[in-house]
Amino acid sequence: MNQQQYINRQHRKNFITGILFLTPTLVIFSMFILFPVLFSFFLSFHKWNMFSSSQSFIGFANYQRLLTDPEFWQVLKQTIMYTLGTVPLNMIIALFLAMMLNKKIKGKKFLRTAFFTPVIISPVAAALIWRWIYDPNFGLLNYATGFFGIPPVNWLNDSRAAMAALIIMGVWKNLGINMVLFSAGLQGIPDTYYEAAEMDGAGRWSKFWNITLPMLTPTTFFIMIMSMISSFQVFDIVYVLTSGGPMGSTKVMVFYMYEYAFKFFEMGYASAVAYIFFAMLAVLTLLQVKYMRTRSGYEGV
Amino acid sequence: MKKLIAVLLTACMLFTTCGKNKKQNENGNVTITFWHSFVASTIPALEDLISQFEKEHPGIKINAQYVPTGDALIQKLITAIQSKTAPDISWIHSDFLADLVDADAIYEMAHFIEGENGLSQEELSDIYPALMQYASLRKKIYSIPMEATNLALIYNKDLFRKAGYDAERPPQTWDELKTYAIKLSEDYNHDGIYDQIGFFVPVYPSSGPLSGWMTWQWIPYLWQAGGYIVNEDQTEVLYNSKAGVQALTLWKEIYDSLNLSSFTVDYDVAFASQRVAMSMDGPWNLPRFNNIMKNIDWAFAPLPEGPEKRATVVGGEYLVIFKQSPHPDESWTFIRWIIRPDVQARWAMKSGYLPVRQSVKSVPEFTQYLEENPNFKVFVDQMEVAQAQRPLDNFGLQITRHIAEAIEAATLGGMDPQEALNRSAEKSNKLLKSVQKE
Repeated sequence: MNQQQYINRQHRKNFITGILFLTPTLVIFSMFILFPVLFSFFLSFHKWNMFSSSQSFIGFANYQRLLTDPEFWQVLKQTIMYTLGTVPLNMIIALFLAMMLNKKIKGKKFLRTAFFTPVIISPVAAALIWRWIYDPNFGLLNYATGFFGIPPVNWLNDSRAAMAALIIMGVWKNLGINMVLFSAGLQGIPDTYYEAAEMDGAGRWSKFWNITLPMLTPTTFFIMIMSMISSFQVFDIVYVLTSGGPMGSTKVMVFYMYEYAFKFFEMGYASAVAYIFFAMLAVLTLLQVKYMRTRSGYEGV
Repeated sequence: MKKLIAVLLTACMLFTTCGKNKKQNENGNVTITFWHSFVASTIPALEDLISQFEKEHPGIKINAQYVPTGDALIQKLITAIQSKTAPDISWIHSDFLADLVDADAIYEMAHFIEGENGLSQEELSDIYPALMQYASLRKKIYSIPMEATNLALIYNKDLFRKAGYDAERPPQTWDELKTYAIKLSEDYNHDGIYDQIGFFVPVYPSSGPLSGWMTWQWIPYLWQAGGYIVNEDQTEVLYNSKAGVQALTLWKEIYDSLNLSSFTVDYDVAFASQRVAMSMDGPWNLPRFNNIMKNIDWAFAPLPEGPEKRATVVGGEYLVIFKQSPHPDESWTFIRWIIRPDVQARWAMKSGYLPVRQSVKSVPEFTQYLEENPNFKVFVDQMEVAQAQRPLDNFGLQITRHIAEAIEAATLGGMDPQEALNRSAEKSNKLLKSVQKE
């Protein structure tokens, strides 16, 4: 055997070993991710109720019905409202907490755990607790705001308040994870910058605006994209807290999709919703990446 | 090599566990798998029923399996049908019938009714017609009712006395229901929100899990005013007619004057703590209420009479036989046995559900039982005026949802009832038109 043959054989052996190691992941990935993704694309051009063994082809009818359904646009608007409500609020509070906890204060570890706990609580259990908190008669929230003379709000039965209730809970639930990410980002900023700034007589705000924020840009950007995607996909807390009510005022995109798929058994229509929604998220993420690149020259993520 | 053997062994084990589902065991016994959603309080009655059946039919074993009702049941049935693991018999709601029939998953009952061990015309017409209406689709029978339910008024006698009403005379008409509802409401701490309410109007999020329950409770009022959900040939919905507006206006007036949007939605908890004077419920809650509300003087009464007539809505659960079943005839034997009058009487007395056959009322033990249980008798008597809606051949789930949306919009949303109903009817009609085009 000459050397070339030996190398080829070695390559092939490596290739086979590699494939073998990947097989379990590939099998699971194709079964539970790749296949459903492709199958739902196929379904979006069909009519199927899950019971019958065959799907009937109806072309773009699902997409057409979707784009002319006023409820779809209403739901899209509400999903965007939820995202605009949670993401900035969540990021501002998370950054504030991260900066507080980056200082030497008493009970730092306890506070960090306390703020992080909501992240690991099951969303269903958390939403049930918030339902009690929001109860108009016996709820903690109205009781607490009562001390400040604020009249009771019917949080979950008032179509104007319900979205706010959802946003408050959404912020509370995901605050911890962003706080930890910001903390990590803060620790990555070298102290020398702050020392130099202090020499030049920079104040607290000036240091924040000119050092902390710019240095955190990659972290901020990452958090923003991740939070936006996850708020667009919010489902479990909506399902338990408001079930999309009152009068559909908290119905969000994934809830709408779920209803058509598993309540009305219109799988084709639900798949079309999923694909339109996917396209929107993809475009949004691309725009963000592009914008951040031109602005900060940051290439990561 | 060793590894290969290990892999093969594991594979073998996996396959044998899958293949274990053989239904016929060595001694020729047949096992029938039966899916149901009976809750813990009904399980003893079910076990009694099954052991009685097995005693009378030595060759047949019933394997009863619990499946949570509602969304979970239908989702599980879909998976089972697609993966060819459907049970022999399942308990379903009539809402699911259209999908199951369209998928060709269940037998048409004529197959058995006209068979050797079938049912005579007399026996068939002994089953309450309203139940048979729900058991059928497009004029063909696809299921057999196992038990009946309907909706009645539940009220707190103590609170009636406190308000100066005769505790033995609950409201008889819509107008009385309205005046009673207001007079029985109290604001203990004068904060402008009622702490005790006269009548609980069941309003829930139309997109939530209790949406169908809300619609089901509203339908009797539509009928009492002389209305219908859909026209005879199912081309147009009729719930936005004058009757629909009357029924929804009644609910809205009570809802608004009691400011119910600020009241809890857990009516049974509130009723048990004497915060609700009147509400609606079904017989399935009788055993539970007898248990948890011993310290309260409460009773059931028929629903008040509407402008046109008396009416209540029937519910109940229906048994279907799957085409995948290897033992359809034995499955039918079980269903056939369950609707025998003496079995129905026994089952009703133990479970708290209503019998599906009219002749059960002449079974002596049952007559005596009715005398001893006046609350149960209210429901049995109400079966005379219990109605079923015309089964919706298409888009039943969506149309039920549209009605729920109208109820929610008119009460909680403060919309004009006519406008709310019209909006929903427009959506329903659009769907019904799409069927006609096909």
